[in-house]
Formats: sequence, structure tokens, C-alpha cells
Amino acid sequence: MRLHFALNGEEIACDAEPDALLIDVIRDLGLTGTKEGCAVGVCGACTVLVREVPVCSCLYLAAMAEGAPVWTVEGIAKRDPALVECFVEREGMQCGICTPGQVVSAFALGLEHDSATEEEIRGFMSGNLCRCTGYVTITEAVRSYLDHR
Amino acid sequence: MRYVNDVSLPGMTYVAVARSSVPHARIRSIDTSVAASQPGVIGVFTAKDLQVSTYGRSVRDVSVLADDKVRYVGERVAAVVAESRVAAEAAAELVEVTYDELPAVFTAEEAIAPGAPTVHDAPWAYPRAFITEEQGQNRQSVVEEGSLEAVEEALQKSAFVVDETYTTSAIHQGYLEPQACVADVEPSGKVRLWLTNKSPYILRSQIADCLGIEADSIEVQPIALGGDFGGKGSPEEAPLCVALARLVGRPTKMVLRYTEDLLSTDARHPARIYVRIGCDTDGNITAWSQDALLDGGAYGGFKPAPTVSIHGALEPGGYRIPAFYSRSVIAYTNTVPKGHMRAPGAPQATFATESAMDELALKVGLEPADLRYRNLLRTGEADVNGREWIEFRGQETLDAALAALRIREDAPAGWASGVGISVYSRTTPTSTSSSMRLVPMPDGRLSCEIGVIETGTGSHTVARELLAKGLAMLPEDIDVVQVSTDELPTDPGAGGSRVTASLAMVADQAIKAWRARLEDEPVLVVVDEKGGPPVGSYGVQIAQVAVDPETGQVKVLEILSTVDVAEIINEKSHQMQIDGGAAMGFGYACLEDLDESDGQVWSANLGDFKLPSSRDVPDFKTVLVRGGRGVGTANVKNIGETTTPPTAAAIANAVADAVGARIRDLPIRAERVLALIEAAP
Repeated sequence: MRLHFALNGEEIACDAEPDALLIDVIRDLGLTGTKEGCAVGVCGACTVLVREVPVCSCLYLAAMAEGAPVWTVEGIAKRDPALVECFVEREGMQCGICTPGQVVSAFALGLEHDSATEEEIRGFMSGNLCRCTGYVTITEAVRSYLDHR
Repeated sequence: MRYVNDVSLPGMTYVAVARSSVPHARIRSIDTSVAASQPGVIGVFTAKDLQVSTYGRSVRDVSVLADDKVRYVGERVAAVVAESRVAAEAAAELVEVTYDELPAVFTAEEAIAPGAPTVHDAPWAYPRAFITEEQGQNRQSVVEEGSLEAVEEALQKSAFVVDETYTTSAIHQGYLEPQACVADVEPSGKVRLWLTNKSPYILRSQIADCLGIEADSIEVQPIALGGDFGGKGSPEEAPLCVALARLVGRPTKMVLRYTEDLLSTDARHPARIYVRIGCDTDGNITAWSQDALLDGGAYGGFKPAPTVSIHGALEPGGYRIPAFYSRSVIAYTNTVPKGHMRAPGAPQATFATESAMDELALKVGLEPADLRYRNLLRTGEADVNGREWIEFRGQETLDAALAALRIREDAPAGWASGVGISVYSRTTPTSTSSSMRLVPMPDGRLSCEIGVIETGTGSHTVARELLAKGLAMLPEDIDVVQVSTDELPTDPGAGGSRVTASLAMVADQAIKAWRARLEDEPVLVVVDEKGGPPVGSYGVQIAQVAVDPETGQVKVLEILSTVDVAEIINEKSHQMQIDGGAAMGFGYACLEDLDESDGQVWSANLGDFKLPSSRDVPDFKTVLVRGGRGVGTANVKNIGETTTPPTAAAIANAVADAVGARIRDLPIRAERVLALIEAAP
């Protein structure tokens, strides 16, 4: 089937199977920032924004994004460079595989609730697993981003 | 950052495998015809199509594809190569295998029982096997140290003895990047490989032996690794992908689905550890025995050694023990092959022995910290094996932990509060075999080529800062790059808490060579350091918990990690190892369990196998006890594996302190705690 959506602000059209997952369509378009981890919607490494709402693209049918704005980490990094800067400054990453999902979720939190408390940050970000850091520096990075917004 | 799954080559093909659905069986037949006729399928292959031998990191007992027998649910039986990953996976579902099922062994206890079904007919016959036929069937390794007779005699004379058995669960490393491989075989026979593997230099011969080719015909490409924690050291899917690439004449790519990682890679060994510790009336330890039986799963070859160290708190000879005995048996079973994970052996053993120390303290009538304090070795004393150490700082570290402890008062109303302590120390490796090249750049910058893969621990940052300090340069003027295995002679790979110490040794030589160079040309140094007396970094953890007496629910409020350190190259990276290590210890203690029974993994996805989230983890606090003496001119101690092993005992001891429930089986789940509360007199 023919798909049309706005990927990182740019209108695109592509062919995809009706049961294709959004993560595969995005990655096949060359945007490999979006990562597959658990593939069952738990770890959050594949998080992207569809209609400004964070979704697990590993569970999301690409067809459901028809006509919608879709933002991946590559687009978010351009939309708000300060966000990535906060993750770098606070070292909110180690191996980096969860980082794209963390960045997209942090952006979504900023859209939704930019005065979140630490507990609210931890709650909102709990769908983005990290095995390396223990979450201390990631939470600091998100805090710093919300403070700077 | 480019990871293996991001690698794309012209003409790429995709691999998926059909896996065994039964735990133990002879393969009667494999029908690949339906799978092979699917659209997009290039070929379907079984063991008879491959010209390979068994492989492994240590013992070479792993089949690339199951030959006549399958030994666990999830074992590779047939491989599909297709034009897309989706096509390969769909066709793999259509491979028809007929099995003649065999009696199986699902636990280590079953495996070593007389007359048990045998997982491998002659495991001692595999290359690099660690056992002999005399040691009995279904054994991967048997390691004995000390004297059982001396222990028995001393226990007889001891005023107090703790005599208990502790069990731990199988858990997965939980890296978030699934294992993946891209293999490309050039017409010359040269193999280019991108693999989620942290020891690329050692890897080459493991793969070459399996495929019957020369190790130097394999070039392992530099790549980022999305987490390791001990899980990414074996050849993994590489022998299969290279063999298939040769068969189809195109590059192959295989990316596991996470369920496949949980089912078929190298989870931490579950263990049953029988502990006996005796002491005199003052609490001085008289005897110590730890007898461990570990479930090694169907294959031992995913481990870098066929053994694990079960020394727990004794790793650097932590306590003063007059009579000592230790035995560790790893059994073959029809379950997921087990491997090494962050401080292999130590989380299991430390849970057992540091829980037992609290049980002993209760018998003697001493505070748990006091019992430990009086038995911790002091600098100048020898360890249980008679070895001298650079220093022992257990007592200082324990003192600092107690001084920093602030009792939490935020337990929910009606819940009981408890505090628990646990001690661990890990040895810093003092030997290495590594290399480094410094290349002057036209713009005055320096390029540092190393073989160390960045697994996420900050090793490249450490290399940069070591060189910057030694050469009086700005860190931003130095580029650290991992190069392919063709570019440097050797590197030991990441693991064993060795990277910083190893980098420090090779950087030290590189700095000297750079200063002494006559021309402005690259400098290559190769270091083969045998190492001096050992030193350990102590980690004392104090956990504070709240327990709901109505439900048994445990909330871990805080983990205070007090760590004995020497020089710290990069404070932030060091701190993140402490926090991340404690978070992993918390997950092991309270959440994670592969839940293996009857040969099935019941927690076969990350929804059921529960990794800690940002909402689950307790508050992490840290105290650094500075001024220690480390190894090498950089004067460093290890950190990556110091804070994971003690956590489970600290939490279990805190639960016992709160509600009197002595947890001897991991993980610490509400139903277990409640059952113990209800069973209490």
C-alpha cells in the first residue's frame, strides 16, 4: 500500500505492506536512530512521536500513521537542539542504545508537563528502560531540559 | 553511533532460524521444502549443509545448527536465508522438524543424580573441555579449594555455626541491543564481520577454528555495542552467518528478536549454595565452607572459562578464615545455556555468604557490622590462599559506610522499616596483553587507535583522559578510535573489571614511547604485562527497605554504596558504574527471573522478565573512600563489577531486620516474604 506522512516535518510517500510496523518503515527510509530493543512495547528504545504523542514504533502499524506528523530522534534533535545538549552535558547515556527513545520521551514530557517533579519525571520516563545508568543521570538530563525550556 | 543492526551492505540477505520446541530429543527428520518455496527465500539450511565443527569461547561444545540432537528449547535447528528479515522469519516458522523426545534434566540437582539422562554423551571429549570422564556425567566443571576435613574439624569446635542453603535465579544480562551479526565473505576468502561482541581479537580464532579457516582471514570491524554486562563475549551467531554467507555468496545479516536473546544466549547461572560458617564465642570466624551447585544449561561454550568464581565476599580474601573449603560444580542441563554476567559467580555467592554472616551475627548476638569488622583482613595479612595483597581496606570502607548512613523515615504508614549491610570486594586485574597506536594528525591533534570496543562504560573517555594527562594535552585534542582487528596486534577485550587498568598500562607505555620518538610518525606499543600483587576495591552496601506486613511487599528506599577507590580517571563514568551496578543488583534481588521450569523459559519477553525502570529503582547514594593504592602508574582500582554482587544480601538482610523474615531464595518477591511472615511463630 502507498503511505503518506510527514516525517520530521517533511511530507513523504512510500510503499509498505499493510502489516508493516512503523519502526521498519522508518529504518528502511534510512533513519536508523530509532532502535529496536524488546520488540514488544516495553523497553521504549523505539519511541517516536505520532501526532505529538509518544508511541512504541515496534508495535505501531505504519498504516495508522497515514497522514500524521511523525517525529523520530533525528527530527527531535533538530527541533530542539537544547534537549540533546542536556543529555550530553549530564551524561544521560552510556551505551547509547536507549538514548533515542529517552530523548523522544523527554521531548514529549516537555510538551505535556514542563514543570514535572522528579517523581513525575521518573513516572513519565518509566517506559524507557536503561540497563546501564541506574537512571540517575538520565533523570538529571530531563530535569535540566525541563528547567531550560 | 553505529550499531550492528545499522550496518547495511549491498546485496544483503537476512537470516532467521527455526528453533527447537522441545528440551531434549533426537532429530528424526527436518522438512525444509515448504519453507524453501516461500517468496523471497534464497535457501534453507541444516547441519548437514554446513562444513563446521562445534564452537565456543572456552569449551567447544556448541553446535552451529543442531546435528542429531537438540538439548534445549530454543536451540538452532535450521537456518533460512531470505531477501528480507520478515520473509526469513516467516519461512523459519514453516520448517517441519520431527523429534524423538528423550528424557531430560531440568535442574542441576536432577542432572548430577545417579542414573540421570545425559545431556552430552561424552562432554569431556570436546576440545578444551574442563572435565574428565572420572568426574562424572553432566558436568561442565568441578572446582574444589581448601580442605573439607579442616573445616569439619573446626566446625565441631565452633561456638556458633550457621548451616543454611541459599538459591538464586537465572537472569539475563538485559542489554537492550539484541545480539546481531553481519558477515561478508569476499571472493578471496577474507571475512569481514560486524558482531555484537566485546572481545574482537580473541573472537577471531574461536570462529576460525569452527569454520576451518585462518584466524587472520577474519577482520572484525569496529562497532558500538548497545550494552554487554558479560552477555556479548561469545562468537554468538557469527559462525552461522559466515557459513551461510559462503553458501549463498552474498552478505548475511541476522538480528535476534529479544525473545531469542532470552531463550538462547547466555543467562546468569542459577545456583544452590550450601553455606556453613563457624565462629568462636567472640565472633571470630573459625571455619567457612561454601558448596555450590550451578545450572550451566545445555552448553558451556558461551563462557570465557568453564567455571565461575563463587568466592563472593572472599574474592580478595576479604575475611580472616583459619579453615576454608569451597566447591563449585556446574552441571549440564536441558535448559538455556548459561554464561557470565557482571562479576560472574559473585552475585550468587555474595547473596549466600553475606546473608549467612547476618544469620551468624544473630546467633552470636553481635551487630552484623561488628561481626564483619572484626573478621575483615587488615593490610599485611595473607588471604585464605596465603597470598599477600597491596592493601586491604575493608574496615575503613565499613567505617565510612556506617558514618554516612542516615536512617530513612519515609516508610509508608503501617510498614516496617529495616536496614541491611553487605560487603564485597573485587580484584583489580594486574596483567594485560594489549596494544595502542598514537598517530599525529596534520592539524596537531592526536589520534589514538585502540582495540577496545566501547560497550557503554566510557572506556574511550578513559583512554582520552589518560593520554591527555600523560602528554599534557587537552582531552578534546585527542580522538580515540576503535580500529578493526587487522589494524592492531592484540587486545584482551572488555570484561573482568579490567579495561581501565589495562588501558592505563598500555597508555603509560604509549606516552613514554611518544615522548621518546625521534620522527613525527605513528607510535605503536604492545604490552604484555604479567602483573604484580593483587588489590581489590571494597564495596560496602547498606540497603534500607520498607516492608508491608499485610502483603509482604518490599520497597527498597535507598542503597548506600561505599566504595574503596584509588585514583579516578573520570569521576562521572566511575559514578555511573557504581549506580548502574547497584541498579542491576537491585533487579537481581527483587525483580528478575527467567522463570525456567520443565525446560521452558516462562519469562521470555521483557514484559515478563522485568528489568528495573526509572520508577522501580531506589535512591542511590555513594561514599567514596579515597586514598587507596591501586595498580600501575595510573594507580587505579576496578569499579565495573564492585557494586552488583553485594546488593541482594543487603536487601535480604534489611528485610530480615524489618520483619524477621529470612529470605534464602531470590528473587525477593512479596509472596515469598508474606509466606515467611505468616510462617513465623
